[in-house]
Amino acid sequence: MSAPRPDVAPPQPWTFPAPVEHLLGNGLRVLAHDLPGQYVLSLRVVVPTVLSDEPSGKEGVGAMTARMLDEGTAAHGSDEFAELMERHGMVLGAGVSDGGLLVDVDVPQRHLGTAAELLAEALAHPVFPDDEVRRILRNRLAEIEQERASSAHRAARELARTMWSATDRASRPTAGTSESIGRLTREDLVEFHATAVGPQGATVVVAGDLTGVDVVGVLEQTLGNWSAPRHRPPSRPVAPVPAPDAARVVVVDRPGSVQTEIAVGRPGPDRSTPEGWAPHPVLSFVLGGSPSARIDAVLREEKGYTYGIRSAFRPRVAGGSFVTSGSVRSEVTGEAVEILLGILDRAREGFTDAEVRSGVDYVGKTAPGRYATADAVADETAALALEGLPLDFTTRNLRAVAALGRDDLDRAYRRVATGEWSVVLVGDASTVVPALEGRVEGPVSTVAR
Amino acid sequence: MPLDYPIDRRTLSNGLRVVVSPDHTVPNVTVNLWVGVGSRHETVGRTGFAHLFEHLMFQGSRNVRSGEHFEALMAQGGRLNATTWFDRTNYFETVPTGAVELALWLEADRHGNLLDAVTQENLDNQRDVVKEEKRQRYDNQPYGNALIDVYAAIFPQGHPYHHPTIGSMEDLDAASLDDVHAFFRAHYGPDNTVLTLCGDLTAEQGFELVERYFGDLPSAAVPRRPDLAQLAPMEAPVRVERREAVPNDRLHVAFRLPVDETDEFLAAAVALDCIGGLATSRLVRRLVRRDQTALGAHATAWGFVDGASLGFVVLDVAPGTDPALVEATFVEELTGFLEHGPTDVELEASLAQSERSWLSALASQEERADLISHHLLLHDDPGVVNTHLDRLRDVTAQQVLDAARRWLRPDSRATVAYLTADDATDAGPATTEDVA
Repeated sequence: MSAPRPDVAPPQPWTFPAPVEHLLGNGLRVLAHDLPGQYVLSLRVVVPTVLSDEPSGKEGVGAMTARMLDEGTAAHGSDEFAELMERHGMVLGAGVSDGGLLVDVDVPQRHLGTAAELLAEALAHPVFPDDEVRRILRNRLAEIEQERASSAHRAARELARTMWSATDRASRPTAGTSESIGRLTREDLVEFHATAVGPQGATVVVAGDLTGVDVVGVLEQTLGNWSAPRHRPPSRPVAPVPAPDAARVVVVDRPGSVQTEIAVGRPGPDRSTPEGWAPHPVLSFVLGGSPSARIDAVLREEKGYTYGIRSAFRPRVAGGSFVTSGSVRSEVTGEAVEILLGILDRAREGFTDAEVRSGVDYVGKTAPGRYATADAVADETAALALEGLPLDFTTRNLRAVAALGRDDLDRAYRRVATGEWSVVLVGDASTVVPALEGRVEGPVSTVAR
Repeated sequence: MPLDYPIDRRTLSNGLRVVVSPDHTVPNVTVNLWVGVGSRHETVGRTGFAHLFEHLMFQGSRNVRSGEHFEALMAQGGRLNATTWFDRTNYFETVPTGAVELALWLEADRHGNLLDAVTQENLDNQRDVVKEEKRQRYDNQPYGNALIDVYAAIFPQGHPYHHPTIGSMEDLDAASLDDVHAFFRAHYGPDNTVLTLCGDLTAEQGFELVERYFGDLPSAAVPRRPDLAQLAPMEAPVRVERREAVPNDRLHVAFRLPVDETDEFLAAAVALDCIGGLATSRLVRRLVRRDQTALGAHATAWGFVDGASLGFVVLDVAPGTDPALVEATFVEELTGFLEHGPTDVELEASLAQSERSWLSALASQEERADLISHHLLLHDDPGVVNTHLDRLRDVTAQQVLDAARRWLRPDSRATVAYLTADDATDAGPATTEDVA
């Protein structure tokens, strides 16, 4: 005889770890998390920049500058720098988001000193060798073609183009288009680095086992020497402007596709919204966060049309979006889109108490595990720094999640879901377009892949 | 730095091997089960079945309705999933400490009493879901089927690794309820399963709970066949060419390797690191940085247990470059490596990168539990989590050279080339064409 179904003991209250804060002599803010047992340290440098500050026609200059930071410095050639990183078990990634230039480093604790030194070199003294600049730009052009060939990437790009005003930077790829990349020169990158990348207003997060480590001492001697005399503070970030004709359906023709990639979007809030951020992760879970969520309960578990469709609120530094995306087999595209939009629209009628409970419990009770590693803690604290949120935001938000009721979810969803969806379908237009007839509202247009 | 993650192990009377690894830094427990069945155990005409079966494990069991496994655990703050691979199937959840008993009860119900609840309707539905998974991850992706071609080219017909875990559409269509019953009886049972508890509990608590929920499960699995003998390297090169709508030419160059957890496998993996795995590997320096004939070069070694492992290098050919030139340069670099072996700096870099990635994996309770189950099930040695880096440190340049000379000869390679279609037209930047 098997044992009876056991009861569950409720978890103890939990708080997101609080970092220790310091200010280095050059104005760089340090946020340090001591997490015993986390032997690989995660460093995150956040330099506030604003995408729309990129010179017109030179979109992607920020991302290309970021990719060039470790391709040769005043002290080390490109190969030499890579070898130094590799021999010290260090890995470095750099890129830009809508609100900042971000450099991530992971390194075993005993190599922190070397890692901080190389990181400081990359930020303060990159030399942008001609040959490496050409290679990075050429690789970006090839990457654009690879993204164009991938349904999911292609859908994301077209959704941004459809949702946001053509004059808004958010409507174009963060890392640039083939046209804008083709126009970039080494001088553009050098100029961007000199004026947009500096320690003033920037933050470095260090998370991991800091037993016996003098973090402030190490950082003061490395990143503390970073200066950028021509650095100008970025403009104030503003939410992207929606396109006047955002509520429409765009089919991206990808002949021969065996699936149609679906992306449905609406503008949404950022995490500092005065209405409160708390309901949004819960809504994501209830609509498209599990096999039992409203969308997959029908399209996956009942119909078997998809491997899974996800809904998510995606906050930017200012503004954000609510995006539902996934793929279905080509033959059922019309029906699947109709069902999906129906579910998203009908959710405006309200959520059930059971749904609220399940979403609140999932978001709240998974938090200790989601933030259990150095890289996850560093990522969250870096995001708080980037978004200008207080360091106790994560904990306060979890308390607000626990207190949510049906009305909170209903109100938050109705603010976003007005029924005016931007819908992008990447698939074989010869079958997809006819299948949409009578199933979607508003104009349907077709674009080439 | 010597690692000392606690490893307490016991075997229940029904054969279930259990490890408890206490870690009180987070109020969570990971429950991780590995079952000794993967796509290598599938029969002709039933490829993809181990994975399809894994999906059915979420569709209800004797005391659990369809979908309840996910719902019940997520509502308690559980994060969970399952995966199927060549050698095994794993099931895992990380839950708040107070929900560990619920997790064990749910796992025991499906691992002991699945067949009471399996229906034709659930099978048909999950067959459709798996076919969409195959379309999404393989058929609708550029280069999506390249590794499937690699398996078929490098492993002989009938070998356990000749076919992919995802299987074929025809075989998925052919799967019946009878297959589900036979598969469960042949492969699922405590004597073909291991269970790891990692997290906020003591070893005694852990063993007591596992005994309570799994102790009554009868030994059930059919005795396992012994693993196959080591497959020798290929005698002559093999080449497969596909012309498709891909953005650029891509070469996948594969080699048979020794089975996992042998000194020779570790040495061969280090060799592949030096050749193409590191950011400063020979192929990256030559093809990507110097010649700029490749956009990227990446090497991987996957350890398996059934008579062979797999090593492969992926070379993204720069647009406008002849892929034959890239392959010739690859052979030249490989030949150079086989003459002198790795430099001290290459060995140092490989070890340093392996150390970081191993420590990063162990940093998360979920991955640590998974590594413990892995080495418990397939190698009967869960302590590998603590000893792996010491073994890597002992790998010598001569061992790397010897392994490379035996396993990575240019003549032993299979090349799978995905080439841009001759008639592929460049559509140019997206423009609006018509309005329906």
